[in-house]
Amino acid sequence: MTAVTGTEGPDAAHPVNGLDEVVHQRVRLGILTVTHEARRVEFGYLRTQLELTAGNLSKHLSVLEEAGLVGVEKGYEGKRGRTWITLTPAGHTALADEIGRLKQLIARVEMGE
Amino acid sequence: MLSDMRALTHRVRLDRRMTWTALLVLAVATLVAIPFDWFGMWVNCLPDGGCQFARNGMLWYWPAASFLAYAAIAVLYVRAARARGLGTRVLPYAITGAVTSLAFPAAWVALDAYFSDHPYPEGPLPYWWFVLDRLVMPWGMIGISLLVLAWLERNPALLAFAAGYLALVLLVLPMGDGFGSPHFGIRLGMALPQLIVGVVLLLGAFGFRRAARRPR
Repeated sequence: MTAVTGTEGPDAAHPVNGLDEVVHQRVRLGILTVTHEARRVEFGYLRTQLELTAGNLSKHLSVLEEAGLVGVEKGYEGKRGRTWITLTPAGHTALADEIGRLKQLIARVEMGE
Repeated sequence: MLSDMRALTHRVRLDRRMTWTALLVLAVATLVAIPFDWFGMWVNCLPDGGCQFARNGMLWYWPAASFLAYAAIAVLYVRAARARGLGTRVLPYAITGAVTSLAFPAAWVALDAYFSDHPYPEGPLPYWWFVLDRLVMPWGMIGISLLVLAWLERNPALLAFAAGYLALVLLVLPMGDGFGSPHFGIRLGMALPQLIVGVVLLLGAFGFRRAARRPR
């Protein structure tokens, strides 16, 4: 996974250094959050909640799928095609790491480092 | 960013809730139980004015009814969540339903077996005995299942409702021995607390339904 910044040295322990840009992007973080809470979520629900176009959502899903963070399952219900998204174990870990780092970051800012 | 995540999580939780459906199914099961209890009750009144009774109808009705009710609630939850484009965590609720369905007949059989070769205690029973007795009865078990549902739905309003409901069936209403004479006969005395519980569940269902329909 790629970090937003990759500096070594005294700042290496700073939470910003551990932020994963695949996860940290606002829309992708939204996808992971909704999928984590819902366990399994349909493409249309994500599109509505995140107020995205189908194309835009597809692009973000492809990034997450390539990173192994979500699984995408296409199927039919009656004649209607439905795409379901689930979080992989790596996705769960990545989301938990992201939340942990954001909390650390807030704690450091609040402590006025 | 964290507050956006919290808002999204909250929206998913709201969209997945089906509180009113669960309450409605349980209210129907409670109200339908009344005639089973009424007509299935064995009553033998003695010349000294005292009466013996056995609520056989309840023993046959509730295990099957609660099993069916919890199965129906689980299926309705899964179907509704699926129609909305969401997954759902219904297994813990189904397990609670199965366990609570068995608790009442198991307690009944255990007590029956115990008192078949032990004497009935003399003097008044301690208060905790009545509370425990009411807890293992179907109405107490409904309260436990509502607590589990509140946890699954992360629903503070349902948690408050379940706590109030449990206080009502454990501490206020005489669910085990009914409202007594001289105002009520045995059957009516037993039916009234059940009617109150059914109406409370029904009102809860309507309240949660209204709250769910309110624009966010």
